[in-house]
Amino acid sequence: MFDFLISFWNVVPVTFAQSLIISFVVMGIMIPFRILGFPDLTSEGAFPLGGCVAAVVLAAGFNPLLAMLMALICGFAAGCTTAWIHLRFRINTLLAGILVLTMLYSINLRIMGRTNIALFNFDSLFKWISPSMANIPTFKIVVVGVLVLLVFAAGWYFFLTERGVTVRAAGAGPQMAEAQGINVWTITVLGVGAGGALSALGGSIMVQSQGFADVNMGLGILINGLAALIIGESVVGRSSTLRQLAAPVVGSAIYYQLISLCLTLGLKPADLKLATGLFVLLMLGLPQLRSGGRYRTVPPQEKVKE
Amino acid sequence: MLRVSQARKIFYPGTPDERKALDGADLSLATGEFCVVIGSNGAGKSSLLNAISGRMPLDEGRIEINGADLTDLPVFKRAARIASVFQDPMIGTAPTMTVAENMLLAELRGRRSSLSPGLNAERRDLFRERLSVIGLGLEDRLDTNVGLLSGGQRQSLSLVMAVSNQPDLLLLDEHTAALDPRTADLVMKATISAIDTHDLTALMVTHNMKHAVDYGDSLIMMDSGRVRLSMSGEEKAAATVETLIERFHETPDWLMLQEA
Repeated sequence: MFDFLISFWNVVPVTFAQSLIISFVVMGIMIPFRILGFPDLTSEGAFPLGGCVAAVVLAAGFNPLLAMLMALICGFAAGCTTAWIHLRFRINTLLAGILVLTMLYSINLRIMGRTNIALFNFDSLFKWISPSMANIPTFKIVVVGVLVLLVFAAGWYFFLTERGVTVRAAGAGPQMAEAQGINVWTITVLGVGAGGALSALGGSIMVQSQGFADVNMGLGILINGLAALIIGESVVGRSSTLRQLAAPVVGSAIYYQLISLCLTLGLKPADLKLATGLFVLLMLGLPQLRSGGRYRTVPPQEKVKE
Repeated sequence: MLRVSQARKIFYPGTPDERKALDGADLSLATGEFCVVIGSNGAGKSSLLNAISGRMPLDEGRIEINGADLTDLPVFKRAARIASVFQDPMIGTAPTMTVAENMLLAELRGRRSSLSPGLNAERRDLFRERLSVIGLGLEDRLDTNVGLLSGGQRQSLSLVMAVSNQPDLLLLDEHTAALDPRTADLVMKATISAIDTHDLTALMVTHNMKHAVDYGDSLIMMDSGRVRLSMSGEEKAAATVETLIERFHETPDWLMLQEA
């Protein structure tokens, strides 16, 4: 009767490798959401964008590092576009994100020229480092883990530098930041761009790990990432920069193991998005359920365009 | 030092909602001058300050500091010269950052921020010293998130931040109005002592007639987006609450001044 535990245990390393890759996306969601106060949906399009760009570059026979760099640059441009649309045209941040991710779908198809590319016969980051170990989950964990650590350390250092503190201020209080001489506009564009870059980097590693790129690979990644972020923040908290940066990695690891456990327990893959959506809804809605006012007031009006 | 000439700003022009925030306001301050601004609600006091700080772009007119034209510069580019403290304690500081980090932002105002660590022992000592002047014990709470401080503490922090880097011009927009009387008094005293010790050029909006009489080298009264009266030198020094009210009644249709 504990068969499910054994089958769960067997896929723990594979799931962990996957969650480490997705933790780039979760960081790419966290930076705009938490540090810049910019609810950004770009990752839903930037993740497959990174995958498609990397696939095309790899299929053309180039080095995996170049493929990842190209993905990073394209994701950065996508993030910058979302922020710029919001700032320049004063369009609601969420709508700006939906506009960009919708347009990216066409762009991703154009980049690949078809809906998917198989990469088994081409070079990958893992094969490039060690052809013999490329498919061993533990090896993938080490390779991606080192990359995650690098990004984490860079973020931790950066957000405590003079420049990093001004970036956090731009998110914490845009008006106050401007009055302190901080160029909030530029920081928002570059910061949301950095988020898009991380999401795309995640996508580029994902296609190399799974051996193919698909234009639909981003479907629901944002909600998955958000669920992971919420879990991470409830475990490690977000009271300091260190914790805020650790939350995506920890959350991603826990979330994907939970999903894997649910699947071995018999949850149908088709129901996964519903389950994840309900979970995010519950976590975001919980504070409202707990605050028991006498009656409900109408939330402030939201505008498509300010 | 500061020269505002023919500043004009009209909201919703040509509609029934048309509102003249500034209607040809002129003002000029000498270096080291501390000028108090009074006027009824909607007279254009805050508009004048927002025009100077850049928060409200002008339709017409010019704003210069020490001969440099600031009229077309955005807020963040003016910040090297101009520091502001607003009425709302919540918008002068970053709530999710620590006291020390907020102080760091003020320290970096008007400079290029580097990629070296922002807080070091030397800076923390400097911030402690600057905060101790207020006497609210903020110097012992450098690592507290500002969101946990009271309104008065946050406003005091805003003030210390504003005067940190010797701004060319200090703008105070009813910065004690939202505080309880005792804290308001404390913040006002700290303000005056900062202006005196650093010999700052300052523009202070107030609704409090006693403050208008007690403080400042000069005084202007605004009405319908213009500077209607100005006093300086001996005339200002000799002014009392009564004479001010008398002068103001010469201009029609005012006022909503509090004599507190």
